[in-house]
Amino acid sequence: MDKNKQVQKREVPKVFVDDMLMSLKYFTDEQEPHLAIIDPEVCIACKDQPCIDFCPVGAYRAQDGRTVQIAVQSCVECGTCRVLCPYLNISWKNPRGGFGVAYKFG
Amino acid sequence: MKTEKLEFDVIVVGAGMAGSTAAAIAAREGLKVAVIERGQKPGAKNYFGGALYTHALVDIYPDFFDRQPPLERPVTETGFWFLSNDGVVKATVQGGLVDNDPVDAFVALRSEFDLWWSEQAAAEGAFIIPKTLVTDFLFEDGRVNGVKTDRPQGDLYAPVVIICEGVNNLLTQKLGLIDHDVKINATALAVKQLISLPAKDINARLGLPDSNHGMAISVMGDVSMGLSGLGFLYTANSALSLGVGVTLDALQESGLKPYELLQRYLEHPVIAPLIKDGQMMEYGAHLIPEGGWTTMPRLYTDGVLVAGDAASMVNALHWEGTNMAITAGKQAGLAAVEAHKKGDFSAKTLSVYQDRLSELFVLKDLKQYRKMSAFLKNHPNFMDIYPTFLNDALGMFFTGFGKPKGDLYKKIFRSLTSRRPLLKAVGDLVALGRAVIGI
Repeated sequence: MDKNKQVQKREVPKVFVDDMLMSLKYFTDEQEPHLAIIDPEVCIACKDQPCIDFCPVGAYRAQDGRTVQIAVQSCVECGTCRVLCPYLNISWKNPRGGFGVAYKFG
Repeated sequence: MKTEKLEFDVIVVGAGMAGSTAAAIAAREGLKVAVIERGQKPGAKNYFGGALYTHALVDIYPDFFDRQPPLERPVTETGFWFLSNDGVVKATVQGGLVDNDPVDAFVALRSEFDLWWSEQAAAEGAFIIPKTLVTDFLFEDGRVNGVKTDRPQGDLYAPVVIICEGVNNLLTQKLGLIDHDVKINATALAVKQLISLPAKDINARLGLPDSNHGMAISVMGDVSMGLSGLGFLYTANSALSLGVGVTLDALQESGLKPYELLQRYLEHPVIAPLIKDGQMMEYGAHLIPEGGWTTMPRLYTDGVLVAGDAASMVNALHWEGTNMAITAGKQAGLAAVEAHKKGDFSAKTLSVYQDRLSELFVLKDLKQYRKMSAFLKNHPNFMDIYPTFLNDALGMFFTGFGKPKGDLYKKIFRSLTSRRPLLKAVGDLVALGRAVIGI
């Protein structure tokens, strides 16, 4: 084997998460959001704001640089944010019956 | 207005694999069973790789295959693919012991399958109540005797409640059956795309003779960026299901976005040609309770049983979960039947559930594999170094023509030891063995 090429690490591609979300079907509960930030000040003080990265549907976004907001309607109810928020600053419950994501295929 | 108290013999929370099975078994024995499902319909919230296992399905319905279940392809080839950054070593098995009639596993899509599975329970006499969220329990003399739901006048009463609420087991926690939330070091986040392709393209690209052949593949190596995690590939009839799962703590430490990790997998030089010109049909994400024994709640208390993902019934190494849920659901249903026969719903009577599961693969295996999730966490190199080494070793072996073979073997050996000192590699192997055997 004379394949002396450098082993190149493959890069992580950039993905526009909204392209993923277009494939999902939701029944949005306009009255009762099932997610909420408990104390917005905690998020502003949070250095890394990892929720912006770890949420698999990118529901967490920082406005004005620091204020974290949740696009509740895109949540797939996986539960990651509830346990990965370093300050456990997310109030998480299931959407009301019939609401939320409805996987077409699963 | 006087409202009638809604009373059942058994209430099941969640119409997934465990819930609809428990309901079918209890209803078959003549009990009045309600299954409460928070989704638009059963299956709406469920998401997996994935495959269902024949043994569990026919155990509940011996005429399972005559009922025209909505399955995708039979799994006729299965095993591991080890990815390097630009190549693959495949270790799959087909024919031989895998060639059974019916085969041992079938690819399925949960939205359609779980709805159908709940309809089988309904045919046994269970009432399926969708679009309804269980919010809390009802108690009498300190014992659970029903559930509160988010419907108006939504209280439902039963002497036995079987909790099959899935991985986010908030009700199980609320009842104090476990004293912590989902553990981030023992739970994986899996993200997946279902990619539609003509069946003939799937067959040609994967070397399947026809559409009655399919694959279930666990993919290691240049998938998880050195994190504790795996990729997977399953063949639906005319779609490929491709995903990546990584443990939550590793995900957090890496700072990676799950959908970008998935996209990176899909762009791998070995994977990309398989899905070329495919259409993404659905993206989704779900947690997998890989902690098994180490994160298992108490499985029963007065008037309550817990089954399926809610009880951490997943064997990550063997991709078992749905079958554990079905088997546990059945045993929970049977325990409820026994309790009704005795007229005693105490923890003591319901403990028969755990006794039975201890005699079956469910608790036997979960106990044996109790160190597996810790092992994988402590040895992420299994996901990284060894797959690459395998690619190097076989690649060198099969290109070493016309050269002294002594040098070749030295080179192969160095390709391992440059990544992992030999003693450490031996240690890794021993640790893996111990995690599998459970000592």
